[in-house]
Amino acid sequence: MTGDMAVGTLVAGALIALFALIGPGLARRLPPAVATRLLVPASLVVAGSTVWVLVAVGFIWVAQFPAVSRYGQWSAAELRADTPFPTAIPVGCGLLAVLAVTRAATRGTRRMRLLLAVRQSCRGIGEPGSLVVLDNDRPDAFATPGADGRIVVTRGLLRALSADERRALLAHEAAHLAHRHVWWLLAAELAAAANPVLAPTVRAVTHTVERWADEDAARAVTDRRLVARTLARTALLIRAAPAGRVSLTAVGGDVPERVRALLEPPPRPRVIPLAVLVVLLVATTVATGTVQRRGDQLLDQAGTATVAHHRPVR
Amino acid sequence: MGRRSRGTLEQEVVAALAASPAPMTPAQVRDQLGGRLAYTTVMTVLARLSEKGLVTRERVGRAYAYTAVRDEAEVTARQMQRLLDAGDDRAAVLSRFVGVLSDDDEQLLTDLLRRAEGGGT
Repeated sequence: MTGDMAVGTLVAGALIALFALIGPGLARRLPPAVATRLLVPASLVVAGSTVWVLVAVGFIWVAQFPAVSRYGQWSAAELRADTPFPTAIPVGCGLLAVLAVTRAATRGTRRMRLLLAVRQSCRGIGEPGSLVVLDNDRPDAFATPGADGRIVVTRGLLRALSADERRALLAHEAAHLAHRHVWWLLAAELAAAANPVLAPTVRAVTHTVERWADEDAARAVTDRRLVARTLARTALLIRAAPAGRVSLTAVGGDVPERVRALLEPPPRPRVIPLAVLVVLLVATTVATGTVQRRGDQLLDQAGTATVAHHRPVR
Repeated sequence: MGRRSRGTLEQEVVAALAASPAPMTPAQVRDQLGGRLAYTTVMTVLARLSEKGLVTRERVGRAYAYTAVRDEAEVTARQMQRLLDAGDDRAAVLSRFVGVLSDDDEQLLTDLLRRAEGGGT
């Protein structure tokens, strides 16, 4: 029975790896709003499962500390004898669990502080959701975080675009604000901070939120080609502009792929990628649950053993 | 073209005025925004923007011509520019319209743009 814990751990690990591997690809086959709404909670569940499994296995090591075993009333020797793992594994898992939680907490607080700082500095500018024109010739456009964020566009870009293109641009940025895309991204990043194999999932979500805003804009202006053109022209304008002190963060997603997607008909919901993702998630949760249950049983067993040992023989 | 909300329309008007080298009359704004916007709708939006201090107007012949206000933008510009310059971390919480292109992307995008423009709108 204790062997089940090892099997469960292996299965959970394999499922987590499988999700990290195929999740982003599957998500790209779904409409971007669906993909984001599925991929982000899924990566949180997977990150949660990772930590859960690490804690469950790591606890076998922690439970052998005299103070802990005395408190929990189980026999450390019994536990050591029953554990299905070589000693190094619970030790490694325990340390990884601490590392994962610490990383997620640090990353989370740092990002939250940034978000709040940016929002604070935008508070005095314009009104929530309004357009702020930057008096700058360099073409650029972005939305500041939060549903009450601002849409910031430089005069240089406004001048270079036609009225229709400006409308597409504004609709895209308004979609980022309306759907609170920064929060989705933040959640995905937290999951990846806890489990670094989810880094490609964050890149996928960065792309799907941009596609989501593109599709929203296409619906608002009722013209997919217009949005495609606006995107392509803006990206080329920014590229052609004399390089300023611009940060080279890869936000904004993969522009050629976004343009290509807009030149195709709107994506339809598909059952197979959706089903595969859901099955993967359920399986991961079940495997995680099994690991934890077997871990508990292991402790119970070691506990019964101690009690039996101390019980006076009649 | 779909229907615009009030906020969207305000943004589009500000964008049009900010992009224009010269002050614009309501009729010019309406022509540029296209669609079937009523003249009175454009007037209402301009009046509201004027109330908020986002646009100023001056008399040109019989009509008023509107300009997007720039003076406030000085402070704004510095604040926003600081955000952009603050480095990767800060810029990462902003939703950039487009990402940075590689050389390959540029070529690819030029071809795609030709396709996007080719089919008409």
